Amino acid sequence: MKLKRLSMHNFMPYKGDAVLEFPQDESRNTLIVFGDNMRGKTSLLNAIRWTFYEYAYGRHLRQIPLHLLPNREAVNEGARVMETRIEFEANGSQYDLRRVATMKNLVAKPERPEDIQVDTYMQKDGAAIPGNEIDAEINQFAPEQVSRFFLFDGELLQEYEELLIEGSEQGKEIKKEIEKVLGVPALTNGRDHIKTILKQAQKQQSIDAGKIKGLEGAAERHQQWVAKRESFENDLVKLQSLLDNARNSRLTLDDELEKVEKIYSQKSKLDSSRSRGKEIEEEIKQKTSLRQQLVGQTWRDLLEPRLILKRESLLQEQQRFNDLNKERNRIQLRIEQTMQYLANLICPTCSQSLEASKREAKEMELEQLKFQLHGLGADDSRLTDIALQIRALNKVIGHGVGDRLSDVDKDLARFEFDLSKIENQIEELQEEIKEFDTDAIMKMRSRRDGVLKDEARLNADVDDRKSKIDDADKEIRILSQRMQPDESYRGARGTQMADMCEKLYASFSLSIERLREALRQSVETQASKAFKAMSTQTAYQGLRINDNYGLTILDQNGSEVLLRSAGAEQIVALSLIAGLSHAGRPAGPVVMDTPFGRLDTKHRKNILGYLPNSASQLILFVHDGEIRGSDDLNVLAHRIGGQYEIKEISPTHSVLVQR
Amino acid sequence: MMNLLVNEDISKVGLSDRVDAKLKRLQEEKHFADMRDAYRVGIALAIASGIRPPEIMPPKVNRYNISQIDEDKSIETAISLLMDTEGVPPYRWAERLAEWGVEKLSQESEKGQIDFLKLLAKAKENAKDI
Repeated sequence: MKLKRLSMHNFMPYKGDAVLEFPQDESRNTLIVFGDNMRGKTSLLNAIRWTFYEYAYGRHLRQIPLHLLPNREAVNEGARVMETRIEFEANGSQYDLRRVATMKNLVAKPERPEDIQVDTYMQKDGAAIPGNEIDAEINQFAPEQVSRFFLFDGELLQEYEELLIEGSEQGKEIKKEIEKVLGVPALTNGRDHIKTILKQAQKQQSIDAGKIKGLEGAAERHQQWVAKRESFENDLVKLQSLLDNARNSRLTLDDELEKVEKIYSQKSKLDSSRSRGKEIEEEIKQKTSLRQQLVGQTWRDLLEPRLILKRESLLQEQQRFNDLNKERNRIQLRIEQTMQYLANLICPTCSQSLEASKREAKEMELEQLKFQLHGLGADDSRLTDIALQIRALNKVIGHGVGDRLSDVDKDLARFEFDLSKIENQIEELQEEIKEFDTDAIMKMRSRRDGVLKDEARLNADVDDRKSKIDDADKEIRILSQRMQPDESYRGARGTQMADMCEKLYASFSLSIERLREALRQSVETQASKAFKAMSTQTAYQGLRINDNYGLTILDQNGSEVLLRSAGAEQIVALSLIAGLSHAGRPAGPVVMDTPFGRLDTKHRKNILGYLPNSASQLILFVHDGEIRGSDDLNVLAHRIGGQYEIKEISPTHSVLVQR
Repeated sequence: MMNLLVNEDISKVGLSDRVDAKLKRLQEEKHFADMRDAYRVGIALAIASGIRPPEIMPPKVNRYNISQIDEDKSIETAISLLMDTEGVPPYRWAERLAEWGVEKLSQESEKGQIDFLKLLAKAKENAKDI
């Protein structure tokens, strides 16, 4: 099978017309569609699903109601038709499959699935196929039961990991899905039909036995057990339906609560932002008050530069006066010495008497010294004045607050910045949660707890009815065996029919088991092959499938690897998908939505290298975080046959652009 | 008589009516915790700027006792040592300086918050030139 083109008209976010051309060259069989989250990647997968099988999945594999599929913007503008179309080639024929959803007359805006009429058209090599044969035709090359393995949603990867967890509820569900594939519907449906015929035959058996003498008592008990079993089966159907409803309600509430959890976390962020905002406001208040105090003292800092200069000048003047005084003292001392010398006529240094000529010279010297001393003058009051002024200046200088003010200004600027950041945050958070009512959230939580209890009770009831049905089966068989010796009983039409059905039922069951086992081995082989190609750990032997269809890694010694990284889990899950997608059909296209979430670069490269070889076409819907830059694309480059990007026009309108 | 009045110092200082209103606003707008702080900063700013202040144009408001704004006589010291008051007593000179300084602060406040760090830096620069 090879996909040629997907065309959409007003489907989900694709308002108007959008077309995706699939690569036709076998050597370049990979198409990559890039798109950010919430832009419409999964909607492309849904467009394919809806065209083939008339359903689209939301989260947790729940169907999206039909009336929510048409593009909202287009509907608001009056559009009344949504259409998807896939042109493809299969078994040598050209197919054209169209599904058209039209709003019924008198419906202004669809509010429930019944408001929309769906028509399906299929052409094979240009000839129309009757409506009632379309599904059978599709099932030939893209069986619905296996569709989840080739129309693959990355969200499911985690579900496959649940298969390894004993007793996991999700694991049970996925096991059922896999068994649908592995059991082959022809055999399982056949077995179920035979079971129905067997039950009718057993009823007849009771009636027949009641007419045989001596068997009346056993026949009555047989009849009672048949009736009981029927009643248990009716119960089981009702309980199963109630259980399904409870599970759906719980999943819906889980989804809502998941959203609300985010709101809760946003609310607590808001509270903490508000409290931080208050703290900052308090800090600002304190710093502002401190700033005002400091500002009140800045007058001293304003004066300081001039006061310091003044003090320096006074100190210099004081120094000059001191130097002058020293000089005066020195001259004074010399005058005194000279006068003493002249008075005694004896040299004060060597105590020798002086000659007359020397005396004259000394008198001259004395005169000069006196003259010098006179020239130096004396202003002691100025010196005192300077000292007083310096003392007064020192009192004024030295209380500066400039540095502290600078620190406070810096703190204030930082706080103001932080506060405005927090205020913006608060505004954004308020906007995010403004429509949420915490009381409603509490009610929703308690409703979810109630539904969860109901679900557990219904599960127990379902198990109880199943066990009662088994018991009834056993009783019916025992009673039938007790009546077997009677020839009339053996020869009765009902008994013969029941015997035949029992044998057929056993034969179908055995066939299913054998086929299932064979397919399980095939899945194990295929998955191991895929795993070895995708894993970076070359020493691993492969994978082993368990009873739950979970896969475990086998190390070089064939022992199970118990601890696996998130990346390894994803590789194992992808390997299972690869194995399953080949188990129920020949290799065809594989469409994968967001499959590489948790993979490291090397694993991603291995997977990107392997996948194009494992499918006739590989269509990947990815976001930029999954396939990064040229590195990842280089691995695929020689296999890429087309690239698209989803561009957002508005939250409800996306378009596909070729890259 | 006039000279006698000028040469005698005053016991109360104030501002012209016009600048007094600006002083009040400086406090109201929370630039200063107390008007006295603004008054003192005004005087210091004028000294730092090397202003030779003109006489205050009447009408005038007497606002503070000298002891309220210059308890330790630092302002008097600064004026006496740094300024040639041309014989005008220090506190008479001080209120003229305050008149100029408060006006200047009021102008600065019109830009938003008064940038005191900038005023301090300017004072340092001016000191070298005066």
